[in-house]
Amino acid sequence: MAKPSNVQKIFLTLVFIILYAPIFFLIFYSFNSNGTMSSFDSFTLEHYAAVFEDTRLIMIVFNTVIVALLSALISTVIGVLGGLAIVYLKNRKLRSTLLSLNNVLIVSPDVIIGASFLILFTAVGVRLGFASVLISHIAFSVPIVVLMVLPKLLEMSDSLIDAARDLGASGKDVLTRVIIPYIKPGIFAGFFLALTYSLDDFAVTFFVTGNGFSTLSVEIYSMARAGITLTINALSGLIFIVTVGLVIVYYALNSRNRTPVTGVKK
Amino acid sequence: MTQQPIIRFDNVSKRYNEQTSVLNNISFEMERGKFYTLLGPSGCGKTTILRLIAGFIEPSSGEIQFNGKKINDTPPNERQVNTVFQDYALFPHLNVFENVAFGLRIKKIKQADVKRRVEEALRFVNLQGYENREISEMSGGQRQRVAIARAIVNDPEIILLDEPLSALDLKLRTEMQYELRELQQRLGKTFIFVTHDQEEALAMSDEIFVMNAGEIVQSGTPIDIYDEPINRFVADFIGESNIVDGVMIRDHLVRFAGREFECVDAGLDPNEKIEVVIRPEDLEITSPDRGKLVVTVDTQLFRGVHYELSTYDKDGNEWLVHSTKKAQVGDEIGLDFDPEAIHVMRLNESEEDFDRRLESYEVPDHAE
Repeated sequence: MAKPSNVQKIFLTLVFIILYAPIFFLIFYSFNSNGTMSSFDSFTLEHYAAVFEDTRLIMIVFNTVIVALLSALISTVIGVLGGLAIVYLKNRKLRSTLLSLNNVLIVSPDVIIGASFLILFTAVGVRLGFASVLISHIAFSVPIVVLMVLPKLLEMSDSLIDAARDLGASGKDVLTRVIIPYIKPGIFAGFFLALTYSLDDFAVTFFVTGNGFSTLSVEIYSMARAGITLTINALSGLIFIVTVGLVIVYYALNSRNRTPVTGVKK
Repeated sequence: MTQQPIIRFDNVSKRYNEQTSVLNNISFEMERGKFYTLLGPSGCGKTTILRLIAGFIEPSSGEIQFNGKKINDTPPNERQVNTVFQDYALFPHLNVFENVAFGLRIKKIKQADVKRRVEEALRFVNLQGYENREISEMSGGQRQRVAIARAIVNDPEIILLDEPLSALDLKLRTEMQYELRELQQRLGKTFIFVTHDQEEALAMSDEIFVMNAGEIVQSGTPIDIYDEPINRFVADFIGESNIVDGVMIRDHLVRFAGREFECVDAGLDPNEKIEVVIRPEDLEITSPDRGKLVVTVDTQLFRGVHYELSTYDKDGNEWLVHSTKKAQVGDEIGLDFDPEAIHVMRLNESEEDFDRRLESYEVPDHAE
């Protein structure tokens, strides 16, 4: 590829400035001692202090993280098994049908997923709260994990499995000693993507939450409706930093997986 | 042979659906400790036989025996057979040591024994000192050796090799032919080697099974198959041949290319239509008046060890000649050959009939 020209560079910079400006604007005013976002008076950390003093908010952050970790973990397990099923299904028609069903879930709007889950939970009689949020988060994360794991599975040569069987491996050995290590980068990618999808999900959670159970995105939404306080800015700033941190961790793990350094196991 | 065969196929067929049959009623036996080659063009079913022995697929009908026991339903991980795959199938997430140790780890063998056996296997294939290398750091030839070490470390009864040399360059391939043959003799194991390369088959095997279209066309030692091909397919596939139509006048007298020739074949019907094979290296260039055949030189290629001449007789039959002597393109030359150089092939003869006929008139000094 040719080197980008100056016009291209300026355009790129402009795009990134426009994309990131609102976030930095928000974070900037989180340090404002004046309680509004109209003019900056002086630097203060009181809004951050308010976040940490608000035990209800801390509880909600805790809920959000628990739901994210649990749903990412469970959907990774289900997603990997689903990916395996899709790849090793002999029936081609069933295989492509499953794959299409998986992809439809990814492109279908969150509002529809949320609304349909709400209808399902009320019909079946599931109490809205932690369980309903967790279940729906797992539901929208599984297709993402499947999509991340599938390319690695398809890339893997069948002769690797033949070779493992030939060397005495049982079905379980093949899975744990050959397939899982081989698709590990895909599993990590799927887990982290599911984690971030769950952390920032608003639409689905908004429908299925209840009984005092809330996650951050839903809470911020209701806080914003009640009237802007700079506590929201401080909280958003913190979330932004955590997200950036997660992205860095993900890239670090990914690049380490690309050049495996496995020593002789003792 | 009183010894029990290590592998026995009894009327084995393999079909993937009603129409396409990959193997048709194949029966053969293999003896312990020999180097066998399954040779044939792609799609002839040779790899299917290998996969049946390894256990990756099950026969549609018939019986496969290992040491006299039926193994049709035995899964691959319970067979004392190990395979060297065409693409090597080394595990990219494990280093050389762990790749070779894979089978031993599955069997939960003690670490000290694993270390000793892996090092011994790597020494066998001249890879000592490479234990901690990653697979991605190894060259094609080295990966090949790792794959062989990974198979032999488990001490299997049979080692299956699925076209393992096809991805190597010519020089390395020739080297590996010597090494594989030597390895087989040092280990004393049964090797079953699949290839479409007749040179590999001739160089390494104790016995060759020539296959075509899901059937074994001919089996025998490399010399038998080269000197006495059963039909046009084998003669054409193994080495280069001159094949012309002819008529068997009576025992030891055959007519082709417009003349009658003395030959060593017998046991055929008088005036039976046959095909005659003469190998290019059995034809000697001489003067036209002394030659049994008179031909015109059409083209001449220098092949290094010999010249390859394409010549035509007056009936238009092509005669390929390998000779260290040079000729002039366009010249008329004579071709001389011994009666033993003429090999007569009956049309549609079965392998049993062919063997019986050969035994009936074979002269001891002809067997080399």
